[in-house]
Amino acid sequence: MDSYSIESNKKKSRLPARLDLAQSGTGLILGLFMWVHMFLVGSIVLGKGAFNFVAKTMELSFLSDTGHGYPAAVFFAVLTVFTLFIIHALLGVRKFPISWKQHRIIVDQMQMMNHTDTNLWYIQVVTGFIMFFAGSVHLYVMLTNPGGIDPYMSADRMVSGTMWPLYFILLICVELHGSIGLYRLCMKWGWFKAGNPKETRQKLKTFKNKATIFFLSLGIIALLVFIVIGINHRSRVGERYSKLETAVERVPALVAEVKALQPSDATHQ
Amino acid sequence: MNDQERILKFHIFRYNPQKKGDKPRMVTYEVTEAPGMTIFIALNEIREQQDPSIQFDFVCRAGICGSCAMVVNGSPTLACRTLTSKYESGEIKLLPLPGFELIGDLSVNTGKFMRAMSERVESWIHDQYADEVNFDKLEERMDPEVADQIYELERCVECGCCVSACATKRMRPDFLSAVGFMRLARFALDPRDKRTNEEFYEIMGDDDGVFGCMTLLGCEDYCPKDLPHQTQIAYLRRKMAFVR
Amino acid sequence: MKVIYTDSLVIGGGLAGLRVAIASRQRGFDTIVLSLIPAKRSHSAAAQGGMQASLGACIKGEGDDEDVHFADTVKGSDWGCDQDVARMFVNTSPKAIRQLSAWGVPWSRVRGGDREVVINGEKVTITEKQDAQGLITARDFGGTKKWRTCFTSDGTGHTMLYAMDNKAIQMGIPVHERKEAIALIHEGGLCYGAVVRDLITGELAAYVAKATTIATGGYGRLYAVTTNAIISEGIGNAIALETGIAALGNMEAVQFHPTAIVPVGILTTEGCRGDGGLLLDKDGYRFMPDYEPDKKELASRDVVSRRMTEHMRKGKGVSSRYGDHLWLDITLLGRKHIEKNLREVKEICEYFLGIDPVKEYIPVRPTQHYSMGGIRTNATGESPTLKGLFSAGEAACWDMHGFNRLGGNSVAETVVAGMIVGEFVSDYCAANSLNVSTATIEHFINQEKKKITDLLMRNQGENPFELKAEMQKIMMDKVGIFRNGQDLEKAVEELKVLNQRAREIALRNRISSSNPELVEAIRVPKMIKLAQCVAYGALLRTESRGAHAREDYPERNDRDWLKRTLTTWKDEGSDLPEVKYEDLDVMKMEMPPGSRGYGVDNTIHHPDTKKRISQIETIKEANPGADRYELQELLNPTMIPEKFKGRNERIGRGFK
Ligand SMILES: Cc1cc2nc3c(=O)[nH]c(=O)nc-3n(C[C@H](O)[C@H](O)[C@H](O)COP(=O)(O)OP(=O)(O)OC[C@H]3O[C@@H](n4cnc5c(N)ncnc54)[C@H](O)[C@@H]3O)c2cc1C
Ligand code: HEM
Ligand code: HEM
Ligand code: SF4
Ligand code: F3S
Ligand code: FES
Repeated sequence: MDSYSIESNKKKSRLPARLDLAQSGTGLILGLFMWVHMFLVGSIVLGKGAFNFVAKTMELSFLSDTGHGYPAAVFFAVLTVFTLFIIHALLGVRKFPISWKQHRIIVDQMQMMNHTDTNLWYIQVVTGFIMFFAGSVHLYVMLTNPGGIDPYMSADRMVSGTMWPLYFILLICVELHGSIGLYRLCMKWGWFKAGNPKETRQKLKTFKNKATIFFLSLGIIALLVFIVIGINHRSRVGERYSKLETAVERVPALVAEVKALQPSDATHQ
Repeated sequence: MNDQERILKFHIFRYNPQKKGDKPRMVTYEVTEAPGMTIFIALNEIREQQDPSIQFDFVCRAGICGSCAMVVNGSPTLACRTLTSKYESGEIKLLPLPGFELIGDLSVNTGKFMRAMSERVESWIHDQYADEVNFDKLEERMDPEVADQIYELERCVECGCCVSACATKRMRPDFLSAVGFMRLARFALDPRDKRTNEEFYEIMGDDDGVFGCMTLLGCEDYCPKDLPHQTQIAYLRRKMAFVR
Repeated sequence: MKVIYTDSLVIGGGLAGLRVAIASRQRGFDTIVLSLIPAKRSHSAAAQGGMQASLGACIKGEGDDEDVHFADTVKGSDWGCDQDVARMFVNTSPKAIRQLSAWGVPWSRVRGGDREVVINGEKVTITEKQDAQGLITARDFGGTKKWRTCFTSDGTGHTMLYAMDNKAIQMGIPVHERKEAIALIHEGGLCYGAVVRDLITGELAAYVAKATTIATGGYGRLYAVTTNAIISEGIGNAIALETGIAALGNMEAVQFHPTAIVPVGILTTEGCRGDGGLLLDKDGYRFMPDYEPDKKELASRDVVSRRMTEHMRKGKGVSSRYGDHLWLDITLLGRKHIEKNLREVKEICEYFLGIDPVKEYIPVRPTQHYSMGGIRTNATGESPTLKGLFSAGEAACWDMHGFNRLGGNSVAETVVAGMIVGEFVSDYCAANSLNVSTATIEHFINQEKKKITDLLMRNQGENPFELKAEMQKIMMDKVGIFRNGQDLEKAVEELKVLNQRAREIALRNRISSSNPELVEAIRVPKMIKLAQCVAYGALLRTESRGAHAREDYPERNDRDWLKRTLTTWKDEGSDLPEVKYEDLDVMKMEMPPGSRGYGVDNTIHHPDTKKRISQIETIKEANPGADRYELQELLNPTMIPEKFKGRNERIGRGFK
């Protein structure tokens, strides 16, 4: 009736729809990427060798004869992630409380209600804001040192380059932001709602909490390992990790090992 | 039966914008608790015996009409069906619903807001032929399941709790807010409403509409009628995000 | 002086008011609706159970039609209703429900196939017709032969009101909220609108209109405990009464609902019993079959309420700190049914009683519920004495309910009356032009202004809250379910005193803008006058009919009392209304007085009853070939507006 013919005369822009999809899309990719990223970086916990293996694999070393791989692969990966990161951040900024007044309102609102999901969102805003700087620095470093991912170089960056506080902050931010973000994504688009949606929400929330705790622990342990390595490596900053070197370093231990084993087992690889 | 009598302390927001020179303040009233006492009963007692000027809105006093929403100890809720016994400390703080025009004390103008919302979402069946139907004939059939589902969304009482519980709405006054989404979801589901997705997009396809919702879910958590905001807003978002 | 002009002024934004407004807007007239509160919060929203219309789609409604509905309604009214109006009503109700369906009400629908229901305390399987799948279904209600009460879960009134208000919004009908009509403007027997107070600013304005419709709902709040909203204070009725010209009809006809929760009086719908719930006493014993072996829990409301009271008087009530009560048991309906079809009831039990009705009994007691009385209108909805004043819905005594209304007939009335009266309102607007002098308008505004100034100036006097509480207690104790001459006399006397005291109200909070105490001070004297009408009417009516049950006159006395009470309040200064009576003409009745079929029939018959019965026989014999439509036309020709004259189609039966 009255307004049945709106469609014909004007048409609303589809941009907001696209932007919303982009926000969620970049968020989803970044969120999932960060889980993978944490596993990869976390490999340091298993030892420098493991981390090195991961780093080299990322450089696609298995494709090259020299074993050096193509640091450019890392460069492009970082570039891609950086781009997504920037896009996501710019889209995210739109939702920030932009004026002081808006900020007051949200803080008042949270004080009034103490409502979990609202608080979680505020955490996202704060962490997002911090990541905008901290994340950019990290990504910039990665971008400019594509070949510089290596147990020692990484550890040196942390300790001798005094990056560890930044990483620490970034770690907390990204773990909170990412898992909250993924939980929010499920709510926002109504995923996994089979059965009782209220129950699903509860379950997802529990899962989100567990994920945060897990990745935060993993990250902190990794960070500590890096710091320990970095401290021990302070005198030789800039030196790369090499399997050989490790072998030399570990000569006494190796000798003992060799002694303990049968000669037949001691063949070099 | 020998219930212990408690003295309840009500801390109530007082401000009458109609009165020149009046300033917002919190005033404390004491009421002796009676068994089964609701905030409705307590407030009326305060008005009748202590301060006849205090303003608040109750109509059905049965949790049906949505008139009496206010913020009780931090939660937007229907005051008429809130038992005082729920609050162990005996301290009850009452604020008017934020985000609405204040009439005075605990009374806010939700009616004006809701009418504007209804106009904005065009909260009626859009069917060119609705007025030409011959009502002597059998009514159009409807799948019983669908009828039940529509009723689920129709249970909204326009109390405004979801509006006040939404930080997005409070930060951005033009945001349509949850109650509007629920209304839209209700009509989107209704086969009698002939609006297309494109037409719905005209109503809610922007950042004041469904794309402005940041999924804070205060709406869902404080809705006294337990409406399924989360799934319904998600449904609308999916529907709108892919409109060509 | 603020004056707002319109064609059709509607006071009240409930179902009735909105429907009248829609009707006059559809006919092209400028329309304004006034309401104390946002329209969607009107008390119509509280109706849970359903709306009666003889659609006959569900299997237990098979064979239902206008005639069966008519018979139930007339019987239910204890022959106190206006049969012309009842006829108009039953014929239009199916159309009303179908129109509401097109406007968006999600009526519960028939599911073809087997389903389990509880009837008479036992689980029974009934089989719905497959070809009725998807049509509007119905449930059982008290006092009806067929399952005829259409519903949406237990939020019927809510969904109806929302659809209606949405329609009004679509049509751009302005609803002026938080406005209270406090006096009617009239001159020379013509009504020209109302003096209206803004409840926020306190400003007075005149709303001047060709036709004024009062649709302000009931006056349940004359009683201390009622199922009604706290705004159901009868102010619409009171301002009509205060004209001294318009009359109120059957004010003593006040209905008590059997099952409101104790102590707060919130209703649990009749649907509880309709769907199979039982009434139990303190021993867990189902007592209703002892009193009413035939309809048991589903006897007419007035009957069940009285039986419950009788049973409690025998000491069978459960005693509590709030007095005796009985139990309503719906546990046998099962969780699934309760959570789906009786969800509001469940919520009410949880929030107000802290019990789970799936497992526990609900404490209930008969409680004031409905006002059959109201502004007397003729079949067009217009006051016979004050032209241009119309009324519809619970506020009116259009009189399809007589002395007892059936459950589900009230929301049906609001909509049907809205449709029909709305047409007559429009006819009136079309036929008349507005001729009122500014002086008249000013006179009425000044009169109200003065009253308010007096209130604000008075230093010492009565407390309006206390007066109201005293009035409510008098009504509760002395003008309740069972009445007797002694108590009623006392009530009338005590109310007289209150009426005098109400002239001396003084305020503690002396400001003219939004001020709840001032609102109360304006209303209370009006309410006391209404209470006088009820109590005095009840005292004079020395018989028992429908909800009006006199212990000292237990018989229905058609001989002396087959008439409608008309109350007017001519002199502002008097303490009692003037009471007159209007005969119901047995010789015109389509259904002459008979027995309602409850208890012993001790009716004192009207001399015309026999005559009319044999007359009807003769007519029937003289027209052997006549179908039910032709017969009805012969027995009771009615004046339904052209729009709503058509016959109603039913599944499996067509237009027959
Ligand atoms: C708890 C409960 C359950 C019920 N269940 C059923 C049921 O299942 N089936 C059934 O058929 N009936 C039922 N009824 C009865 C039925 O709901 C009412 O009779 C009917 O809804 C009345 O509608 P109305 O439009 O006449 O008035 P209401 O809906 O009461 O509306 C009155 C309107 O008038 C306005 N108003 C009042 N005074 C003034 C004034 N002075 N100035 C301006 N505006 C004013 C109010 O703001 C309101 O908008 C139930 C009633 C109650 C109390
Ligand atoms: C530059 C830093 C970042 C900023 C400023 C930022 C900001 C935001 C904001 C404001 C939101 C909420 C969007 C909304 O409510 O609609 C959001 C959501 C999200 N963020 Fe970020 N973010 C940043 C980085 C990241 C990173 C590194 C990740 C990966 C872990 C991430 C993952 C997500 C996810 C998964 C969501 C949910 C997506 C959605 O709601 O649509 N964000 N971000
Ligand atoms: C493709 C892009 C990325 C690459 C290649 C990469 C690589 C690395 C590497 C190699 C480390 C080890 C420390 C170092 O060498 O300096 C590291 C640590 C870290 N990165 Fe990234 N990173 C990427 C993107 C991101 C993003 C987008 C974030 C979050 C905003 C992030 C957060 C972190 C954190 C918090 C740590 C410290 C982890 C810990 O030790 O606990 N990284 N990253
Ligand atoms: S959706 Fe819920 S909270 Fe919001 S207005 Fe409706 S009933 Fe109230
Ligand atoms: S609280 Fe607000 S942001 Fe969305 S999910 Fe509810 S409307
Ligand atoms: S007064 Fe109606 S919901 Fe509280």
